[in-house]
Amino acid sequence: MKVYRFLFLAGLLFCISESIAQTFITRNGTIRFFSETPLENIEAVNRQVSSALDAETGEFVFRVVMRSFSFEKALMQQHFNDNFVESHNYPNATFQGQIPEIGEINFNSDGEYEVTVEGELTMKDVTRFISEQGILRITGGNVMGESIFIVRPEEYNITIPSRYARNIAQEIEVTVNVNLTPR
Amino acid sequence: MKTWIKFLIAAALVFLTAGVFVYIFVYNKPHKDYEKASPDFELTAEELYQAFIADRSEAESLYNGKVLQITGQVDEVEKIDDLVIVMFAFSEGFFGKEGIRSTMLENHHEEALNLQPGDDVLIKGFCAGFSDSDVILEHCSFP
Repeated sequence: MKVYRFLFLAGLLFCISESIAQTFITRNGTIRFFSETPLENIEAVNRQVSSALDAETGEFVFRVVMRSFSFEKALMQQHFNDNFVESHNYPNATFQGQIPEIGEINFNSDGEYEVTVEGELTMKDVTRFISEQGILRITGGNVMGESIFIVRPEEYNITIPSRYARNIAQEIEVTVNVNLTPR
Repeated sequence: MKTWIKFLIAAALVFLTAGVFVYIFVYNKPHKDYEKASPDFELTAEELYQAFIADRSEAESLYNGKVLQITGQVDEVEKIDDLVIVMFAFSEGFFGKEGIRSTMLENHHEEALNLQPGDDVLIKGFCAGFSDSDVILEHCSFP
């Protein structure tokens, strides 16, 4: 009887540790950015974003291939890659951070949580600390994450030539959407 | 009509034509037609993946932004929302199977979804780069 009790407890502990140490991932998250000026609005979408969330530690990362940003106008896409982010020299951008409120999230039942996402965003070899608000939705064992924040190109060594200055906003709205599934 | 008026009209027409030309062929130039584009490189899927694993920097300068035509055996086909991705797997890592993820053009979705694991395929697409786990091919088609 003692053996059965031991096996039951060991099994239970294994299940709990497995559920706590759960990691959620996607390789097709979405990042959009939007620039609004009186002359024109520019939007780009990247649907090849790799992202992971550790449900135990709250560690959250995403990796972006810069050439996967798709623009409506081919010319703008060309300028973005060749002149602004120089994707031939800096092909990736990364975010590595934390969700401090991770302990308050129950991943085993559906719910919605307002969270803080803080960490280091790296683009063009420039790393800056950011702290933004986001939403995590737990639905059927999956995690949908959304955050909208502002990026200033000049802070990431992205220089907009004066001839385009009136077409591109100094503050770019970035929207991150990830639908993470258990690994 | 006075000569200077004729000159003004001619100059205005030249500027107008140049403006229309710039608007259509420069400002509004169409995206590259990757389905019709000639490949810059032809290689096997495994050669492409191993190139990024062996020397990422060199592979990035060689293949990123280029049209590639690859051959290989399909590992699986994923449908994620309206994306159809043909996967070639060569390794196992944090994100599961790792290799080449080829996002198909919409008019090739049906053919891609009919593929079975192990099928030999020839795929042409735009190499966007390496995501730390996979080589990303986009605008892919079956030539």
